[in-house]
Amino acid sequence: MNLGKQFKEGLITNNPVLVQVLGMCSTMAITTSFFNGLGMGISVLVILTLSNVIIAAIRKIIPDKIRIAMFIVVIAGFVTCVDLLIQAFVPALSESLGVFIPLIVVNCIILGRAEAFSYKNGIGASFWDGIFQGFGYTVVLLIMCVIREFLGAGTILGGLLEIGENGLSFGLGTAAGIRILPEQFPIGMLTLPVGGFLILACLIAAMQWALSKSKNKEESK
Amino acid sequence: MSNEVKTKEKVDMDPKYIITLTVTLFITCVIVAGLLGLVNGVTAGPIAEINQQKTQEAMLAVVADPDNTTFSESPLENTQAMTDAASSAGGTLGDIYEVQVNGEAGGYAVTVSASGSQGTIEMMVGVDASGAVTGVSVINHSETSGIGTKVVGNEPTASGVGVLDQFVGKSAADGTLTVGTNVDAITGATVSTRGITTGVNAALAAVGAMG
Repeated sequence: MNLGKQFKEGLITNNPVLVQVLGMCSTMAITTSFFNGLGMGISVLVILTLSNVIIAAIRKIIPDKIRIAMFIVVIAGFVTCVDLLIQAFVPALSESLGVFIPLIVVNCIILGRAEAFSYKNGIGASFWDGIFQGFGYTVVLLIMCVIREFLGAGTILGGLLEIGENGLSFGLGTAAGIRILPEQFPIGMLTLPVGGFLILACLIAAMQWALSKSKNKEESK
Repeated sequence: MSNEVKTKEKVDMDPKYIITLTVTLFITCVIVAGLLGLVNGVTAGPIAEINQQKTQEAMLAVVADPDNTTFSESPLENTQAMTDAASSAGGTLGDIYEVQVNGEAGGYAVTVSASGSQGTIEMMVGVDASGAVTGVSVINHSETSGIGTKVVGNEPTASGVGVLDQFVGKSAADGTLTVGTNVDAITGATVSTRGITTGVNAALAAVGAMG
């Protein structure tokens, strides 16, 4: 097991969003505040890790013909569990993410990793694959959130912190964020879906540029 | 080609293989369903409590005197006439709760939904005993963030009154409420404002049909 390599793959060279281009729907829809991105990222990380472990554990008894159906049943089970738990214990998150939590079922990252990795690898490796791929997804979401929130709404850390009358206060899902840009400056369009496409395209382009640059370097050595 | 089709058929028709597939899938589903049952057992209570609290908050937000107001525990039974009145006004009637101010009947809190710009807006409309609106609050919506949400957030219209607050005091006597004539819209969010207006009309119609 090569943890360092797996970590690098999840975060950079095989990043689920920027390189595999999976999970686009949620990446564009919910990255409007830091809190949303963090909540979505952690939910996906947990579900991905659990489903990876279970699928790796039962991969030998899954008949090849119905493996996709089996994956979906396992994934849907975990997603529903997480959905119920969020509704019960973090209602603010379930309110702001709404339908996108149940939609994790069809998030291609999870099905993609089940098919490409955990169906062919052991439990330990699959567990770390879930953690690292989930982490890579979360990091990209957070980058998107920070850019879109800053340029689109003029705040940072929305849903976590805000500066009120009593100074800095913490409010899970309710805080308005720390205002950086005055209210008349932000580009409201960036919090709409079109802004999601623009920012994501820029991130993917930057990632591809960096990857090809480091590849060229290696080749010229 | 024909050969390929034959082998495929042979595999598909093998009863043993089909039974294995079915049994594996069935057992997985049973295990997953059991797990869901367990989680549901843990979360059902808190979720019901949160929903109850949300309805309660929405109801308190639409009455004139929240401190002295109580609500009927369960919703009233909607009659056909009420449902029809609401739908002919363009909305869909939800639960109606009886409002009691200082222990006396003081009108109704009506949940009603109407279509906004991106989907259905579900709202609570408070109506007092004389049939005038005491308040409007939005429970669920999917309006565009930053545009339609201005309406949900009760931001002031050009006239300076909150877009939801302007309905307070209106009653069936004002005739059908229409954006542009007796309701002000928020610039850029006319359709969302129209949705709220339709909802208020439907709520007033439903209360009127109560007789």
